[in-house]
Amino acid sequence: MSSPNITVIDYGMGNLWSVLSALSYLGSNPIISSDPDEIVRADALLLPGVGSFRRAMSSLKENGVDQAIVEAVKSKGIKILGICLGMQLLSEGSTEDGTTSGLGLIHTMTDKFSIEEVGANKIPHIGFDGVWSESNWPLFKGLKNISDFYFVHSYRLLPVGLNGNSATCNYGIDFLAAYEKDNIFATQFHPEKSQTNGLILLNNFLLQ
Amino acid sequence: MLSRNFRLQKVGNLEWLQTNYNFSHISYSIDELIVLDVTREQKSSDEFCSILKKLTEGCFVPIAAGGGIRSIEAARKLLRAGADKVVLNSALYERGEFVSQLASEFGRQCIVASMDFKVGPDGSYQVWSECGSNCINGEAAKWVEQVTQNDIGELYLNSMDRDGTGHGYDLRLLDLLPKNMPMPLILAGGAGNSAHLAAGLSDSRVDAVATAHLFNFVGDGLRKARSSLISGGVALPFWDIQLLDRHLRGE
Repeated sequence: MSSPNITVIDYGMGNLWSVLSALSYLGSNPIISSDPDEIVRADALLLPGVGSFRRAMSSLKENGVDQAIVEAVKSKGIKILGICLGMQLLSEGSTEDGTTSGLGLIHTMTDKFSIEEVGANKIPHIGFDGVWSESNWPLFKGLKNISDFYFVHSYRLLPVGLNGNSATCNYGIDFLAAYEKDNIFATQFHPEKSQTNGLILLNNFLLQ
Repeated sequence: MLSRNFRLQKVGNLEWLQTNYNFSHISYSIDELIVLDVTREQKSSDEFCSILKKLTEGCFVPIAAGGGIRSIEAARKLLRAGADKVVLNSALYERGEFVSQLASEFGRQCIVASMDFKVGPDGSYQVWSECGSNCINGEAAKWVEQVTQNDIGELYLNSMDRDGTGHGYDLRLLDLLPKNMPMPLILAGGAGNSAHLAAGLSDSRVDAVATAHLFNFVGDGLRKARSSLISGGVALPFWDIQLLDRHLRGE
């Protein structure tokens, strides 16, 4: 089976190597780019993420990568997968470090877990945790309804007003662990760090 | 969470490592990998990064890496070479603002604070830095409290006395923790068998246990330790290697 060429967006803050190594393992041939022209011509986009929201947005804005992503996804229908911070960047904005606007592709805000919500749990949420999904959803095809994925985050997308497929995880409260709607895919967890479960999910994205 | 700590004694022995360790195979038995450059003199970050890249190819678990990180750029390099988190040790005692700067650049979840302890001549704990070559003045508990007030994501406590002995963790180290420990704790130093891992995990103050002991690296000791923990009721994550094979074959 052949996987499409996927463009991994480099904004100086992602855990690039991990993502590339998982994609290569799956037989894909990832291209690393921060060039808006390449981004709007990609077969598929991947927005990785480790870092702070504010820094990430300002670095995406520096050379117009933010607009290129929105154009690619909205006007050209290019599929995108946002991972962790990359998922949060797809939202309307985040309250991390003051309020910062995001790419606005998923119509909800990113907000921090509150101590009340997580109860006895600690923030950040770190480690493998079970994610509930439907096995006929595109990203989760072939996986069990509850599968373990690796999380490391203090912020997450608020689930309000979303009408796509919402996979959930419980950390004191249920929160949005992954989201998919049309050509927009996002995971709060790191599939590239989630053993075979994550590789299956990434492969599902490539085959979309 | 079962973690593993692998200490690189010397840069340049990659071939030996690859012959003796199959990381992508071993990685199915761990939840996380910690790779530290503990070269005391003349650390070469380029060399360490290239080793890290090769070492972790085909290893799909979180990777924390560190050793002598004292700049944002050094941390960024590691994050671009396969690390998901950076491990700080000596820098924790030098400039408090450096930890905050790292956190505002990469997020606090990206920072693992690693502290080394030895029992001193008077029986109380001492904090050591620079790969165990420098004793830090001051009470150990106060240092722990100060470090946990920094913008860090996880705290890693290592007993230098127990490290490499296989005699079990020093659970007394946990008494150094502040009452309301705000972040996950990883305990390290001394595990020699799966009962030691279980003993560490059964303490409510411990979120994860790390081991660098050889029982993990030869044969299938690590896989056995994991299944013994799971059958003992420890909630470790689950994945099915065959499931991936079937999936990739399109079944």
